[in-house]
Amino acid sequence: MSGITRWIALWLCAIVLITNSGIAQERTAVKQGFELSANSGKKILLIRPKVSVGEQSTGGLFEPNADWTDKARKNLDAALFKKQGALGNTVLVSPEAYGDQALVSEEYTNLFGAVASAVVNYQFFVGNRLPTKKRDNKAGVFDWSLGEGVRNIPGAQGADYALFIYNKDAYGSTGRKLLQIAAALGPGLAVKSGEHLGYAGLVDLKTGELLWLNADAAMGGDVREIDGAEKRVGQLLEEFPGSVEAVEKAKQP
Amino acid sequence: MKKLITALIATVIASVPVSAAPKSKVVAAPTPPPYTGVYQPQGVDEIGLWREDDERERALTNSPLVIRDEALNAYVKSVLCKTVGSDRCNTVRLYILRVPLFNASMSPNGTMRVFSGLLLRTRSEAELGAVLGHEFGHFENRHTLQQFKSARSGTDLLSWAALLASMSGTRQSYQNFDSIRLSVYGGLARFERNQEREADLLGLGYLNNGPLRPHAASRVWRNLILEVEASSAARGLRKPNFNGVSFFASHPPDGERVNYLYALAAPDGEGRDDGTGRHEAALKPWITAFLDDQVSLNDFGASEFLINSLAESGWTADLWRARGDLFRARGNPRDLMNAADFYAKSVAMNSELAEAHRGLGLSLIKTGRQVEGRTALERYLQLQPTASDASMIAMTIASSEGK
Repeated sequence: MSGITRWIALWLCAIVLITNSGIAQERTAVKQGFELSANSGKKILLIRPKVSVGEQSTGGLFEPNADWTDKARKNLDAALFKKQGALGNTVLVSPEAYGDQALVSEEYTNLFGAVASAVVNYQFFVGNRLPTKKRDNKAGVFDWSLGEGVRNIPGAQGADYALFIYNKDAYGSTGRKLLQIAAALGPGLAVKSGEHLGYAGLVDLKTGELLWLNADAAMGGDVREIDGAEKRVGQLLEEFPGSVEAVEKAKQP
Repeated sequence: MKKLITALIATVIASVPVSAAPKSKVVAAPTPPPYTGVYQPQGVDEIGLWREDDERERALTNSPLVIRDEALNAYVKSVLCKTVGSDRCNTVRLYILRVPLFNASMSPNGTMRVFSGLLLRTRSEAELGAVLGHEFGHFENRHTLQQFKSARSGTDLLSWAALLASMSGTRQSYQNFDSIRLSVYGGLARFERNQEREADLLGLGYLNNGPLRPHAASRVWRNLILEVEASSAARGLRKPNFNGVSFFASHPPDGERVNYLYALAAPDGEGRDDGTGRHEAALKPWITAFLDDQVSLNDFGASEFLINSLAESGWTADLWRARGDLFRARGNPRDLMNAADFYAKSVAMNSELAEAHRGLGLSLIKTGRQVEGRTALERYLQLQPTASDASMIAMTIASSEGK
């Protein structure tokens, strides 16, 4: 396999990030008419989050770190339960699945990833909107679905919604930080050190509709620490339907 | 200051090829090192790569591409064990993927992926073992980790060089940066080619020490060359160069591999067992499906070559049927005449083969032999009344009667 070519491609992406560090933006959308009142006691099925934590090398490659990834997974899980309990909803962990059931679960995790990146690319990214997703055409359009097959996800029978979470953190290495400083002081170039990408989405387990999506390419909170993970989950679930922020926002005229 | 920076860049250039290119020349197939027991990753980079790989493997186990036929899996595993020895092969998790391409891979944590296209292209246990042994060599020598480290130091260097070049800002410094960039990219590609050579030799080392015939390794690549030649000949393209190394090539040229794998195969291994019969028997239940996947690639020359080489041990109804499909898919009137002929041979060998009757009927109707065509299609519906295209075929029969 041509691994080296892949690394070079990754590096070129990193170079692009250096020059376009301004595009990182946060976006949230809720399906029109969807409301989840606080303390409604809904059951939310948490699909095993995709978590990956590591360092960013001087050249911008991702250097995976197993210890940090483990810590982050543990901290994020704990923070999620805490946060959801406070909102009055129950978080259920998706059960261990075998055979065909496991295939279904994996397929929907991948489908969610594809749909979420389509939302980010073709709706959240203003310059690239599909004609049908333009706010100019229809006010507040947020119409995406995974299809009714979501009912077959293992654990879907006993839950109302499924929560998908993706989290990738690359902390700038010492070399990367030195490069950043040198580039700023010398030729005055902006080099981005570190990458903190996350998105979270809520899917209706009866209809398959995507109810809420939050994507953020510059997240705060150090997921390797308990406090940091709580802050991160707070940002991931920002404007989560039924949360205090969303309720207050809705009250505004 | 600028002169200093330019001098610095020049020093950096001088140091690049040394850092990026380790030993290269092929000397002898080494005897495999003694087995040291179950390996566990060491250091933050390797542990990190393994963890990422564990996640990928978790997803792979649930992939619809994986062929879960236990008999086929047990067979491929047994070939790996014969090649690398049972102590080494026990820890390998093997996944056969239904992908009609010539490839296999082994990732850092010991996940082996074997594409179905490889199984279609190997003719014996020894040939399959040669490729599996090569992939195992990548794993045993931890090539992904080395590759990651070399890519990291290469790109680190380039980042600093880019910074220095833009600080200096002279025409000369940008030219120097371009040279560094080319030599880093070239160095990384050469590093990867050398890893492939190393894995080739290690794979051959396993074969030399095992029960299978080591000369089969060279044959795998010779067959691949013949297939690529057939593929380009069918498209009227110039014959590819099998000996030149292109700048970004990730693998050594096939011609070189054929030569050194043949030269370094243990001479006393010539008389050893190839396992051709066992290989054929193990693949028999799958060969039709793999052939269909290959035909749908729309690579006429390569598919025709593969069908013909499978037929070297005797034509079967299935092979004639696949060849008919291949010609009918291209669909020129001359192809349909040939296809009808091939389907007829298939039906003559096995009158119960529904797909052959279907292909025969459709080819005949298109070449104007309506009556015979209808008979063949009716026979197809008789054999497979619940086929997914049954109503469409019935309509074809009806409309050809109307003419």
